[in-house]
Amino acid sequence: MNREALLQELNAAASPDGRVAHVGSTPFGPSLRVERFELGNGLQILICEEHSAPVVAYHTWFRVGSRHEKRGKTGLAHLFEHLMFNETENLEPGAFDRKLEEVGAETNAATWLDWTHYNAAVPRDGLGLVVELEAERMRNLVLRDPQVDSEKEVVANERRYRVDDDVEGAASEVLWKLAFEKHSYGWPTIGWMEDIEGFTTEDCVSFYETFYSPNNATVVIVGDVTELEALGLTSRAYGDMKRAAIPAEDVQPEPPQTEERRVEIEQPTPTEKLLVGYPSPALGDFDHTALSLLTEVLFGGRASRVHQKLVRQLEIATEARVFVGAFRDPGLVEIFASARGDHRAEQMLDAIETEIERVRDQIVTEVELDRVRARTELGLLGSLENIDGKASTIGFYETVLGRPNSAFERLDAMRRVTPADLRRVARRYLGKHQRSIVFVRTSAESN
Amino acid sequence: MKKPGSPSVLVEPSDALPLVWITVSARTGALEDPAGKEGLTRATTRLMRRTGGGLSPHDLDVRIDSLGASLTVDISQSVAAFHAAVITRSLDQLVDLLVDVLARPGFSEGELGHLKRETEGELVEMRDSDASLARRWFRRKLFEGHPYGRPISGTLATTSSFTRADIVATYEKTVAAQNLVFAFSGDIDQARGEQVAQRVVSALPAGEIRHDTVPEPEARPGRRLLIVDKPERTQTQILIGGLGSHPRDEDHVALHVANTIFGGTFTARLTQEVRAKRGWSYGAYSSLPFDRRRRAFSMWTFPKATDAAPCIRLELELLKQWHQEGVTAEELEWAKSYLVRSHAFAVDTAAKRVGMKLDADLYDLPRGYYERYEDNVRAVTLGEANAAIQRRISLDDLLVTVVGTESEIGADVQKAIDDLAHTEVVPFDSD
Repeated sequence: MNREALLQELNAAASPDGRVAHVGSTPFGPSLRVERFELGNGLQILICEEHSAPVVAYHTWFRVGSRHEKRGKTGLAHLFEHLMFNETENLEPGAFDRKLEEVGAETNAATWLDWTHYNAAVPRDGLGLVVELEAERMRNLVLRDPQVDSEKEVVANERRYRVDDDVEGAASEVLWKLAFEKHSYGWPTIGWMEDIEGFTTEDCVSFYETFYSPNNATVVIVGDVTELEALGLTSRAYGDMKRAAIPAEDVQPEPPQTEERRVEIEQPTPTEKLLVGYPSPALGDFDHTALSLLTEVLFGGRASRVHQKLVRQLEIATEARVFVGAFRDPGLVEIFASARGDHRAEQMLDAIETEIERVRDQIVTEVELDRVRARTELGLLGSLENIDGKASTIGFYETVLGRPNSAFERLDAMRRVTPADLRRVARRYLGKHQRSIVFVRTSAESN
Repeated sequence: MKKPGSPSVLVEPSDALPLVWITVSARTGALEDPAGKEGLTRATTRLMRRTGGGLSPHDLDVRIDSLGASLTVDISQSVAAFHAAVITRSLDQLVDLLVDVLARPGFSEGELGHLKRETEGELVEMRDSDASLARRWFRRKLFEGHPYGRPISGTLATTSSFTRADIVATYEKTVAAQNLVFAFSGDIDQARGEQVAQRVVSALPAGEIRHDTVPEPEARPGRRLLIVDKPERTQTQILIGGLGSHPRDEDHVALHVANTIFGGTFTARLTQEVRAKRGWSYGAYSSLPFDRRRRAFSMWTFPKATDAAPCIRLELELLKQWHQEGVTAEELEWAKSYLVRSHAFAVDTAAKRVGMKLDADLYDLPRGYYERYEDNVRAVTLGEANAAIQRRISLDDLLVTVVGTESEIGADVQKAIDDLAHTEVVPFDSD
């Protein structure tokens, strides 16, 4: 049976919500393709056949993250991610995971600013079960006080692990709050502790009914499956679901920062730390590619300028690294440096600023640009080694940018970036007046 | 079959991506460090990576990066490994650099000084991670008196003592053709892999295979508590365990299945009781790793400080229940199904497939351990699983390691451990 025949057969008996349409096809790298389908209820289905091993990745991306929360209810998207592994109308608590483990599945989930992502990978013959269970929890999740209370406790412990008792986690949270005064990117995805403790079952039910609907989700299927089989399973499992009215987003844009901001915190750490945040463009902006390459010149690996200066020449730091936010809206270039011995965070800041001044003033050489292009290309190829990596890459770019092949578009864009682009973005995004700084001091008790 | 004098070469081809992964492993690791020189093998391999071909570290890093390649070192107690990845178009150039690193390290005094100072900084920095502190101190105390208790990364005191002569001596005994195993995966075939390996070993002395003479570790008697005292902790990191098993043990697979039921997955007993029912810890797992000898069986949780004592009490109770009552037939069938079917993800990439072959070679696993893994799991009976728990897991000889603020948790934690024979408190910033 070919695609047209299957679509005819599936659509003949389907309700309008369950009708499937093939709405696009795009290459994914040199040898693979992503086929896009849409159900009548709005569910996006992306299928990428890849037959190198008898396994299939099944990822579900919801277009809801901590950006959609309100003050006082921060962390709800993340708490909800935990709750999705609980009871449904047809599955007792724990049965979701137990059944998937029995067929050898590996499952996980993640929440961030723009999205929530559920991933499962199964041996080929377990695909039907995954589709059935994922559809079940999108449709029939049961939310009661005992599960919500227990999961709040788990999340509070996760927060202690990742933030409260983690020097870098705690400082990073302070930095984002300092840099974003209006936009919801300023609060942590895991939520403030008092918000986590205050959630009610009603909050969770409301969140589920608002955001967990087929027209707010994309299913990505990659692996040893035929398009026809995947389509048949998903259209039958999700075809009876209804669209929901997704509320218009209520995110406040962040006003441009015009003055440097500074905060000092104390932590039980043996050495001082420094975190600096500069504004970064949205992921879809051409400047994001150029800025990513520039930060690689500065911080990418031991050959980078900042590593050479801070770790090798001055010997004032044990490490210095950077993260460039990859989000729908402008985010942060987040720099982290850890002092060596008794050296101060201010010394690291001065040395980093000297290197940033250089890229604002002088052209980066083509040789350096080629070095960081090659590093970036290796990083992308390495991330596509298995089906989960491919499905994550497809789902991430689809959810944030609406284009599942954008990883390769960025690779092409990277080849067009010039040294002049790097200087331009250095001047545009790495100004002293735009930066927010967190100095982490050693607390008295840990001395 | 390996020809006499030729290197061991393992290859798993895959044309899925234009990438080649290379691992060159020496059959010796940190266990070879002389007493008082812990961390020396790691320092030696890191210095090789920084001075190959007499280049400066910066020149070497620029060349590797510019090829679309990476080259890292990874030292365990029994193995010293160099891991490379490269975009296929640059394979030849990367191999040139690999030969420089393995066969022509510069070992300059100046760079040794740099490395020692950096290492000292990293050792201090390690104290920021409570989970790392827990693992480091658990291993050190569980295997106290045995080579497995020695720190791979060394200490501030040992690092400062390294000399160039120490480095050269370690290099000469570690990096010799007969002592290396080559593993290739990705966009490369057997003939090309053998050619690359030959090119590397032709630049090295033949040397000899160094045999591991480390004895099996023995349990230290009694229940012991180690508190790694760190200020201002809202949470604790807890590791509880004793000796485990090795694939050469006839009941290893049975114990592996039983451990899967106890704490090996998200729905295992430990996770369900600690996390799902009580919400006490974000993670709760047990593990059973091995080296060339038996290593530890351990449970890992990280509850908030006020839950530390009840969590330890619960874990010990669960351990006792598992030990005395065993697992059920239903649990056994579920675990076997999970392990057999999820094995697909142990072999779904060329890198993983060659990694298994490499492990089998380096860790002296029984012939066909991975090839017969699924059949061996299927064959485990209820009696075998429960007998393995009884035989290998001790309720009496246990080490409980807790990273936390001693003044706040110490007394309650001690009360939570019945028959506690010994308590020790170490400051988190001890060397």
